[in-house]
Amino acid sequence: MITFESVTKRYPDGTVAVDALNLDVPDGKTMVLVGPSGCGKTTSLRMVNRLIEPSEGRILLNGDDIRAQHPSQLRRGIGYVIQQTGLFPHRTIEDNIATVPVLNGWKRAKARARARELLDLVGLDQTLARRYPHQLSGGQQQRVGVARALAADPPVLLMDEPFSAVDPVVRGTLQDQLIALQRELRKTILLVTHDIEEAIKVGDLVALYRPHGTLAQVAPPERLLAEPADDYVAGFVGFDRGIRRLSFFPADAVSLSAGPVLPTDATAASALKSGEPWILVVGAGDDPRPRGWVAADRLAGLDGETRLGDVAVDGFGHTFTVGDDSLRAALDAAVLSPAGQAVGVDADGRVLGVASFDQLRAAVQAAREADDAAAGAAP
Amino acid sequence: MMWSWIPGNWSLIWQLTRANAFLGIVSPLIGLAISVPLGIAAARWRWFYPPVLTVINIVYAVPALALFIALIPAYGLTNTPVVIALTAYSLCIIVPNVVAGLRAVPAPVRQAATAMGYGPLRRLITVELPLAVPVIIAGLRVAVVSSISLATVGQLIGVSSLGYLFVDGLQRSFPTEIYVGLFLIIALALICDLILVGLRRVLTPWAATRSGRLPAFAGLRSRALVPWAPLGRP
Repeated sequence: MITFESVTKRYPDGTVAVDALNLDVPDGKTMVLVGPSGCGKTTSLRMVNRLIEPSEGRILLNGDDIRAQHPSQLRRGIGYVIQQTGLFPHRTIEDNIATVPVLNGWKRAKARARARELLDLVGLDQTLARRYPHQLSGGQQQRVGVARALAADPPVLLMDEPFSAVDPVVRGTLQDQLIALQRELRKTILLVTHDIEEAIKVGDLVALYRPHGTLAQVAPPERLLAEPADDYVAGFVGFDRGIRRLSFFPADAVSLSAGPVLPTDATAASALKSGEPWILVVGAGDDPRPRGWVAADRLAGLDGETRLGDVAVDGFGHTFTVGDDSLRAALDAAVLSPAGQAVGVDADGRVLGVASFDQLRAAVQAAREADDAAAGAAP
Repeated sequence: MMWSWIPGNWSLIWQLTRANAFLGIVSPLIGLAISVPLGIAAARWRWFYPPVLTVINIVYAVPALALFIALIPAYGLTNTPVVIALTAYSLCIIVPNVVAGLRAVPAPVRQAATAMGYGPLRRLITVELPLAVPVIIAGLRVAVVSSISLATVGQLIGVSSLGYLFVDGLQRSFPTEIYVGLFLIIALALICDLILVGLRRVLTPWAATRSGRLPAFAGLRSRALVPWAPLGRP
């Protein structure tokens, strides 16, 4: 647990970077500090490991004032990841990762063995252990940065714009990996970003800063989208927050219809008899994977005995996986589908049914009401 | 060119070469030993660097011969005035490189080291200095090559070096001696420079793998290898 108790950082020229900040970061949670540049989010972060000393107030780590410890000692118990990685260019990857264990007095062999474990943990190949940082890609370097921060198994991790310097595709991968790691490790993470999408994706809690070091709102990401505290928050979160909020609702609740789904060995006549304007053709027998949509109008012009497998079909965009994807993915699938219906599949890609906009709307409404009720009951 | 002169004077040539090598190598090494702490101080306390730079630049502006002569009253006609003068010139070259090398350590690296829990001294020794090594060695290369060359001027105050061959050759109008001296100075400088390049490769394997782009003879681009430069020094 990290606690900021009315922490203020004022510089000699009178600039106030952080203004009477009160914030609790619960154990095992990821708290994302987000806001415009110059809002004091990075200053807040750096005060936790005393790279910057507060002017007023105090910061507690598990109830103890951080000033009770020698700075170097304190820092060895707090992982630190920065945007430019800050890897040591003159040390191999394994020695970079082993930095804090070695500082803590471990034997080099033991520290290197630990480094190898961490390479595995962050999904890097063992063959990279003896390379130097500049021989790695930006994404790989960033993973090494995370591995180095985790090497001494600190309970707290500070991450300062950790993924801002890599391209969007790599960034997405690294974010997914952080989420997966955190599910396993349950560290107390304080992460700074200027990217609200990143905050909403990786945060258990989001602290949104106003300019000049005050907080606008602290809330779980779905509540930030559902109930922005004021116009500033709503503006920062962005105008399509309704759609984005749907990423927090699972698609399981969508009712699926099997009516328009027919296998390749069904006939055109049987498809027309169903009365559906669009038919989703799937594989026959035990392989019901989607093949594509075909309009009833097109089938009407064909011989009734034609097999659906022999008819040209339109693409189905993408499917959504029941039990894994969110309502946002389901809605997107419907928007992209020529039939205006989303194809729901199981984990193996077998079609479970399709959902129309009406069915999706009902699911969205139900999920929203349930979420608001839960938030109201336990604020 | 009288080739037969060479075998006849082999022991003289060998003795002069050794004396020249001693002056040209020991002085920059002493210079390095002084430059590193001085450079660290100048890099750490910014106000300290401008006065240091001013002083070493003034020293650098003093003609070599004048500096040798000025030191004679204190040390006599020994190696010492030459070593002191060449050490002073080496400082002028190496101190700025130590400062530049330390300043070139990327800020995120320094910050990460602090955040990992390095104290200032440990960070300096295990992170910042190793990263400054290529720049420091680049300065050392220039200092060694120019010291080997400048040492010959010591001959004018009677301190033995390959400069003897220039002075003697000139007095006797005997160009062979001058050519031999010239050749040996260049060869000595080249060998020392190659050794330092090798040393850098060994000390900084992380920089060597970057690519072979560091020019092997960067240190030789100083005026030191222009044989008349030492005498023409301001």
